Amino acid sequence: MIRNFLRAFALLSCLSIAIVVCMSSIVLTNLLTRTTAAAQPAPSRIVYGLTLLPSGFDPHINASAELGIPLRSVYDTLVYRDPVTKAFVPGLAERWDISPDGLVYTFYLRRDVRFHDGEPFNALAVAANLDRITAPETRSQKAAFLLGSYERYIVLDEYTIQLVLKTPYAPLLDSLSQVYLGIASPKALREYGTDLYQLHQVGTGPYQMVEFIPGDYILLRRNPSYRWGPSFYRTDNPAPVEEIEFRFFTDPATRAPALESGAVDIIGELPPLDALALARRDDITLIPQPIPGMPLQFFFNTGKAPTDRLDVRRAIITATDRVAIIDSVFQQLSPVAYGPLTAVTPFYEPQIKQYYPHDREVARQTLTELGYRDNDGDKILDLNGAPLRLIVIVPTWGYVPQVAQRLQSQWREQGIDVELRQVPNLAGLLAAVQSGEYHLVAFNDFGADPSLLNNFYLSEARNNFMRVSNANLDQWLRQAAQINDPAQRQNFYTGVQGLIMDQALILPIRDYVNLNAHGKRVSGLAFDAYGWFPLLANLTFVGER
Amino acid sequence: MLRFVIRRAFSALFTLWLAATLAFLALRLAPGDAITLQLTFSGATESQIAARRAALGLDLPLGTQYLNMLSGLLRGDLGVSLVNGRAVTALIGEQLNSTVALALGALIIGTALGIALGIGAALGRVAVQRLCEALIALLLATPIYWLGTLAIYLFAVWLEVLPSVSRSNSLEALILPCSVLGVSLSGSIGQVAAAALREAKQASFVQLARAKGLPERLIVWRHMLSAHGGALISLIGLQAGFLVGGAVVTEALFTRRGIGQLLLNAVNGRDYPVVQGVVLLSALAYSLFGTLADVIAAWRDPRLRTL
Repeated sequence: MIRNFLRAFALLSCLSIAIVVCMSSIVLTNLLTRTTAAAQPAPSRIVYGLTLLPSGFDPHINASAELGIPLRSVYDTLVYRDPVTKAFVPGLAERWDISPDGLVYTFYLRRDVRFHDGEPFNALAVAANLDRITAPETRSQKAAFLLGSYERYIVLDEYTIQLVLKTPYAPLLDSLSQVYLGIASPKALREYGTDLYQLHQVGTGPYQMVEFIPGDYILLRRNPSYRWGPSFYRTDNPAPVEEIEFRFFTDPATRAPALESGAVDIIGELPPLDALALARRDDITLIPQPIPGMPLQFFFNTGKAPTDRLDVRRAIITATDRVAIIDSVFQQLSPVAYGPLTAVTPFYEPQIKQYYPHDREVARQTLTELGYRDNDGDKILDLNGAPLRLIVIVPTWGYVPQVAQRLQSQWREQGIDVELRQVPNLAGLLAAVQSGEYHLVAFNDFGADPSLLNNFYLSEARNNFMRVSNANLDQWLRQAAQINDPAQRQNFYTGVQGLIMDQALILPIRDYVNLNAHGKRVSGLAFDAYGWFPLLANLTFVGER
Repeated sequence: MLRFVIRRAFSALFTLWLAATLAFLALRLAPGDAITLQLTFSGATESQIAARRAALGLDLPLGTQYLNMLSGLLRGDLGVSLVNGRAVTALIGEQLNSTVALALGALIIGTALGIALGIGAALGRVAVQRLCEALIALLLATPIYWLGTLAIYLFAVWLEVLPSVSRSNSLEALILPCSVLGVSLSGSIGQVAAAALREAKQASFVQLARAKGLPERLIVWRHMLSAHGGALISLIGLQAGFLVGGAVVTEALFTRRGIGQLLLNAVNGRDYPVVQGVVLLSALAYSLFGTLADVIAAWRDPRLRTL
């Protein structure tokens, strides 16, 4: 009887085997076609791995940095920042003047530029873009705010346009150099409307958008008539890549296998351990790219005891062995951070490195002088019967959990009790901060103009997670954002960085480094002044593997 | 039979209403809203944020928002995304084919493999039984995340025969994700199939059939599985509903687009209309496949029609 049952089982097994055979034949066919395909001339097409899946891809509307990775090369901006010197260089505007009072910016535009759809580029096109970005119904999440105190434009002639500000706003040139203020074809903007334009984007850049299937891929093709690139775009590229397909690798663990299997040619945001392993392979090149802006850092809540005391905050920073954290979590692939700006950010002050060298003995002494003793023998310091206990808000992204665990063990050895409170997303983080029940919270933002500090350090800033209110800090930050003279801005920002560290408002951990890698089919991978966006025009296609 | 189907249809409608309402409430109870999240780091002022929330009707009383949502649903209008301004129906529509292809493939592989395992575990030789039972336990305990990563390393990185990254719904691109998801599903299907068959083995009608000299093949398929397969059909129906709601992990592993990724993004961005749309779709799929499974089961077994 059992034998007969087995007959049924065998029947099903046969079915499964049939399915397997079917699939293997597909695999075999695939192998065979691959061999024949290799014999043909190689198409110059690569796959670039993106790491986030933004819900919106319109640079005028959405704020994700990820969208700039493909779109930076679809659009040109009025000005550019040189990736190395970070100086402003001509883009769609061949030159510009700023009025002495800092309120009127006059841009003299290039006359030889055409959009991918054949439309001519001129002052009216710039005007149409500004109209779209500032229109309330566009609901811009970033671009409109990048314009700062912008009030209106004046079209002086076909190739000259003025931007008029309400108050001086020094970051304007930086804003205008960002992809969010990329100039789109007015015809395409009209044709597709606010909601559908993101699927049919048309710019003037070195690559044009061919196809975009949300959540699946974006296909860019080289713009053969591109002759108006900024000074740092190569004009002598022997083999520019003809087509670039962008795909989404949201799960960090899938990125290294994708590169190893040849499914992608370039990918960023590799986990440090994977990056280290890939760097040992001779067919893969690791390109760590430092990002300007804020480092990975923890803001101290100065409104809650015990971190309301300056010396407690100083002791906590001194007790932290940042080098050990960089070694174990980031595999030495990131520099230690010492202040509120990373070392590659304009107006960074190197003197900041002198603050709070790691010294457990000094930290212990400081805490003892403040009156902290372990009176009940539980290895946790206490003051007036209350244990020295810190609540840390830990976002689950950016390796913060791993960093926080090491902080916890380092500080425990120092007699400081630590409670880690994980938050799964930005909404959770903001809710936790709003409650006020924390001593430290990890957060950072990126950008090439230090005025991004204003969003966090001004006393009335929305994101004043430190609950700091310092008249000097307020004044210097405001003035630095209004003056165009670089030397004066440097003075203010040197003061700001020193003051923030002197007041121990943050615990900086590491400068953010994006770990990119590419395979053998391409060379010449480099990034723009903001660190995130590849200069696709400078990529050279090397050939098949 | 007709009354049974009508009764099931009404209960499905009730499920849909309940899902819409719960999704509405759960989202509003969660901290943060789409506009605040979008504008927190933009430098926007409090009043700018308030104005934009008002323009989208997010400042209306909850009751009004709820009624607006319900009346929209009745008109078949799921609203527009708060993040990119596109219609929710379009957003779901463009992801649906990818999800359905994955779900269908996984379900076929999972069911075939699961029933084979179930038959082996219940009716095979002792050694076969042990092996199949162990396999079922292993499959039930293996996280799909691990299984998927293993499959990628094996077939895409090491053997280089299948793509780990699939751009289209071509057969080749579907093999790995469907197999991984299907193998993962087969554990629960195998377990239920084995339980049903073990129960059927004791039944007197099986003894009778055997005494009549029917071939074992017929006994297993026509008598044992059809009489005791009700739970199996329900389970497969439920799994189908679940899969249409999105297999987030599988999608992320194989960088496939789909409903799961859409939902994950929408929840993180507090994009209420999109979340509501996906939850409704998911509830609809659950009800539809659940009802279908019940109707099939009732048709096979008239005793169930009174339930």
